[in-house]
Amino acid sequence: MEETALTVRVHDVSMDFGSGTKAVDSARFDLETGRFLTVLGPSGSGKTTLLHMIAGFLKPTAGEITINGQPVDALPPHRRSIGMVFQKLALFPHMTAAENVAFPLKMRRWNPKGIPARVSDFLDLVKLGDYRDRRIHELSGGQQQRVAIARALVFEPELLLLDEPLAALDRKLREEMQLEFRRIQKELGVTTINVTHDQREALVVSDEIIVMDGGKIQQKATPVALYQQPANDFVAGFVGVSTFLDGSATEGGVEIQGTRCAGTHMTDIAAGTPVRGGIRAEQIRLGRSAQAVADCDTRLTGHVSDMIFEGERLLYVLNCPALPGVDIQVYYHDPDAFDLFEIGSEVHFGWRARDLRIFRAAR
Amino acid sequence: MTAPLQRAIFWILVGFAVLILSLPMVIVVGASVTSGNIIAFPPEGFSLKWYEKIAQARDLQQAFWRSIQVSLVCVAVSVPVGTLAGIALSRYRLRGAMALQVYLLLPFTVPLIASGIGMMLVFGEWRILGALWPVGVACAVINLPFIIWSVSASAASLDRDLELAAQNCGAGPIATFFHVTLPAVMPGVITGGLLMFVLAMTEFLVSLLLTDARTVTLPVQVYNNIRSIITPDLAAVSTIFVVIALAAVWLLDRLVGLEIFLKSK
Ligand SMILES: Nc1ncnc2c1ncn2[C@@H]1O[C@H](COP(=O)(O)OP(=O)(O)OP(=O)(O)O)[C@@H](O)[C@H]1O
Ligand SMILES: [Mg+2]
Repeated sequence: MEETALTVRVHDVSMDFGSGTKAVDSARFDLETGRFLTVLGPSGSGKTTLLHMIAGFLKPTAGEITINGQPVDALPPHRRSIGMVFQKLALFPHMTAAENVAFPLKMRRWNPKGIPARVSDFLDLVKLGDYRDRRIHELSGGQQQRVAIARALVFEPELLLLDEPLAALDRKLREEMQLEFRRIQKELGVTTINVTHDQREALVVSDEIIVMDGGKIQQKATPVALYQQPANDFVAGFVGVSTFLDGSATEGGVEIQGTRCAGTHMTDIAAGTPVRGGIRAEQIRLGRSAQAVADCDTRLTGHVSDMIFEGERLLYVLNCPALPGVDIQVYYHDPDAFDLFEIGSEVHFGWRARDLRIFRAAR
Repeated sequence: MTAPLQRAIFWILVGFAVLILSLPMVIVVGASVTSGNIIAFPPEGFSLKWYEKIAQARDLQQAFWRSIQVSLVCVAVSVPVGTLAGIALSRYRLRGAMALQVYLLLPFTVPLIASGIGMMLVFGEWRILGALWPVGVACAVINLPFIIWSVSASAASLDRDLELAAQNCGAGPIATFFHVTLPAVMPGVITGGLLMFVLAMTEFLVSLLLTDARTVTLPVQVYNNIRSIITPDLAAVSTIFVVIALAAVWLLDRLVGLEIFLKSK
């Protein structure tokens, strides 16, 4: 196995702005050289605060950050070898694209003779060779994005930070840029921390994902592991589409208002404890007859209350008398049978015990 | 009220305001091109002879160059001070921000005669009263709030991330200031600088108190002349003032763009 060096270590880092709750609360993780880590979380979960501490704009109120084994707390931002792409890009409006990319080289005292060639190389890397002398406001959103990436990478930083730089783009361009990020990151092999609240982006581009909520790290895992084994109900709800069932724990499942549902306890939970079960929309089986769900551990009937066409799939919302007050969300993928169920029609549905994950209720 | 009527009233009011504001200017420009020998409006005939006259009047010319010097001193003093103060004002929650707000209102509340006499006493004490540069410094001091305003309006719309980005690019605090902060507030600096130039050029009361016979500035010279006989050449000089002000506005438009100026107010 190849030896990998440790680049970034975030060691129980907290940030307290003095407003009651901590913006970042005892965050701890390691990131190895060359990896692409995404920090995923809802608005206000502390993602930007975490990045700003790593970049040096904010001093942690507790804990320590080391880069390549060196504590960086005493280093001001301009002495850290970190490139950053800001949420609103923060390109210098009074400079051209090429001047923006040359700026970090000048500031970091690169040999002036080598600067123009290097700037050209990086503008080519982001496919902007023909736009070098344009002012920033003369470039499209996606082109500005690329200038920002080139500016962040041109001086060979040890670490690249991306603070939701794609949030403002339309979906198609965003997906294009996600792959572009991935390509450049692989090409240069630069260690990257990417911030987003778009779960799809996180799953597509990352080697590893950290899910944050309320300043706390909820889980760190690879995209596949995160999707398949969420550590708690927050992660299960944030990544993918899930239906949640609140009830009390029973042996091998959960009981909701007298209905027993088969599920898997994710931790050791005593019977009777309040729990929350989560099941993904694609793991619920759906059919016209009881036969279609014969191999499910839980089998129920309900009727279709809504259907949402999403292009490649259909999302049914079911109501079930046995589970009052719950909107059960089910993905249906068979393109030939999109008109199978009408709103109001009765359906049979069910799931396997291993797909309903049961977590302790209050986190 | 119906919409057309509202619109009509609006335009009548606008027209009236423009007329009132421009009337003195129109009269003075009109009076300056008279071919008669007394100041009058409407002018009798048309001639530029009064402009010829002021072009040859040595006292007016010298006073004009003195006023230019005063304005340059004023700009040289007020631009660096006002720029730093304006940025600081918009940036930091300064202690004594209240006091600063009051200070910024001073030009409207303290009569110029009071600040003028105060400065006359201080400069007399320092024995610099006969020189020209203290007049420029005095103009800078009393008008400083204007440039502070203009710069802090520019600085308030500055994206803080730009400065963080500069640091991230490896720029220390000083390089960040010169490469990013200063260019961003430049519209405010230019606006404020031109304003300071024009204000110093036309400053009368303070100049009157701080100058003597050897150092009279243009507005004071004009005033002295009025006290003897009023001839159309004074209207010609006043027209020069109007032209200077218009030149400043034109320059502003070329350098900054008037929309920015109007927005920043
Ligand atoms: N300078 C500050 N002073 C006080 N509180 C702050 C400051 N900056 C951020 N916070 C608070 O810290 C929490 C985390 O903010 P942060 O900007 O890190 O969130 P985020 O995860 O980046 O959110 P978003 O996705 O909306 O950008 C928020 O509750 C925010 O109000
Ligand atoms: Mg953020």
